[in-house]
Amino acid sequence: MNVHKRIAIYGKGGIGKSSTASNVAAACADEGYKVMIIGCDPKSDSSITLLGGKRIPTILDLLRDGVDVKEEDVIFKGYKGVQCVEVGGPEPGIGCAGRGIIVAIQTLKKISKSLNEMDLIIYDVPGDIVCGGFVAPIRKGLVKEAYVLTSGEYMPLYAANNICRGLAKINTPLSGIICNSRSVSREEEIVTKFAAEIGSELMAFIPKEQIVQDCERDGFSVIEKAPDSNIAQIYRKLARAIMERDTSVMPKALDDERLRELTR
Amino acid sequence: MDNKNISIIHPRPSSIVAALYTLRDLNVDVAILHGPPGCSFKHARLLEEDGIHVVTTALDESGFVFGGHDALVNILHKVNDMFHPKLIGVVGTCASMIIGEEMHEPVMEANLDVPVIEVEVHAGYRNNTKGVLFALESALDAGIIDREEFKRQQHLLEEATNVELRHGAASKEYLAPSRGDVKYKVAQRIIELLKEGKRGITIMNAKKETGYMFADITLAVNEVAEQLGKADNIINMANIDQNLGLPRVRHHAECIMKDFEEKGLKVHEIIGGLDEYPITGTTIDQLIQEKYSDYDFAVITGVPHAIPMDHLSDMEIISVTNGPRQVLPLKELGHEHVLVEIDLHPKTLGVNHIVESEFGATLREVAKESL
Repeated sequence: MNVHKRIAIYGKGGIGKSSTASNVAAACADEGYKVMIIGCDPKSDSSITLLGGKRIPTILDLLRDGVDVKEEDVIFKGYKGVQCVEVGGPEPGIGCAGRGIIVAIQTLKKISKSLNEMDLIIYDVPGDIVCGGFVAPIRKGLVKEAYVLTSGEYMPLYAANNICRGLAKINTPLSGIICNSRSVSREEEIVTKFAAEIGSELMAFIPKEQIVQDCERDGFSVIEKAPDSNIAQIYRKLARAIMERDTSVMPKALDDERLRELTR
Repeated sequence: MDNKNISIIHPRPSSIVAALYTLRDLNVDVAILHGPPGCSFKHARLLEEDGIHVVTTALDESGFVFGGHDALVNILHKVNDMFHPKLIGVVGTCASMIIGEEMHEPVMEANLDVPVIEVEVHAGYRNNTKGVLFALESALDAGIIDREEFKRQQHLLEEATNVELRHGAASKEYLAPSRGDVKYKVAQRIIELLKEGKRGITIMNAKKETGYMFADITLAVNEVAEQLGKADNIINMANIDQNLGLPRVRHHAECIMKDFEEKGLKVHEIIGGLDEYPITGTTIDQLIQEKYSDYDFAVITGVPHAIPMDHLSDMEIISVTNGPRQVLPLKELGHEHVLVEIDLHPKTLGVNHIVESEFGATLREVAKESL
């Protein structure tokens, strides 16, 4: 296996990036890939379902305590050896979370040898790229391609479209759109069309199923807790598609008018 | 080191400024500060006196909010047209680094035919030598220096940091600035010692261009000794090896040496290069042990706190520093007389000859009176 996937998953806040990221990570680990997931949200909950619901110390927690951070202090093995890292950050309303991501990413780059050994690294980034710090993984050359997660609702699509504009600006190719369904009308059709119009394609349609929520409530991914479920199969298929994917594009964002037409 | 984690509250040198000075030593023609207009003003101004152009992207409130990408691209073009530089440096500031400004993209976009050294640095590092290190790392990446010189500099920086931690400005939580002892009295004491037939060593252990002024004290001591007929009682040591350091630093050593030769001053022991002040201590200590342990006094200038006291403790020590916070640590080390050359640094920028020092001038005047 000679793959070197470095991806970031973007999308509107609350759309299911962390759930998708952990399930894809778990599915790839099942296939025997060496996987790492790096949570870049100050909430630090990206990897929680790979760790049986447990929280891990974050890079910024340790830096704040003045610890001379070592790889083993911040990288924790979760389900099937998936390496989990949380950047962490200040409490809401205090300090500067953006600077936090920059510092944490620089630290990780410096201390982690295993970064290079991974077949797949997923950067789970906060929904809103509110400042320069939130694109640090890309700017520091760690992310090679992006996936955008959306539903067929107007607001998530609006956010996805904005993200595409941003990706083009920072010169990061888009490898595909993933639809995390919220069971709205004509959803697959709308997202497929959106993907095509920005120059990309729909990689997967993940139906809304209660079982995902049930597993998360227990602190697990679907892959681990309900490996035979229909939705687990969908995540596996997506995981394989991501690992095999070799095309990406510089997305062309739609204007607001066209986007609204599309969802009507 | 137990003082490694003390919380120092006195203001101290900035790593942004350290990066600027390093760029100067690398002979950039223009340094661009990417940040607010007033950042590092005092030193930016001084560096202009030293012959390099310093400009700022002048980020304002709107720059902090919307980023300074375009401002940096524009200024790169502008300085290229205005100054026709052969080498440009771009230096970060606290403001631009906190908002996550990336300097590489604007540099790529400006696409000048001139090499650009990009230094991502802010002033929030415990040791300001970080700024030097970052600048050198970028210079290495840009192919301006080779790995061997980089390693050498890296070692010097580590030692410089340790020197400050041990007995320097980073050795205590708070050090009050002081003007040191009265120069007139100390000048009298040196003349007294010489008249008594005592033998002395001058040790110039200066940091880079500050040597232009510290060298004047070496000259003055020798002049006075000669006037008193005691020229042979003085041994001179100086860190002016002309084959060590970045080109600009070697040039300073050449200039100072030339002035010494013109004045007929003999340097008995070359103790290293002008950037080796943190590591000359061992050489000096060894030389004194082997050849000069029975000397009576020592006049140490530049970075006196870098020199171990092992074989100096029996001598009467007169030390001259340009750091007002250095007085107390030097007294604690056991230096009987500590003098401060106030505002030395600005006077040593943009020069290529030895500059008169206040203590040198005092010594010469006092000698005239006592002859």
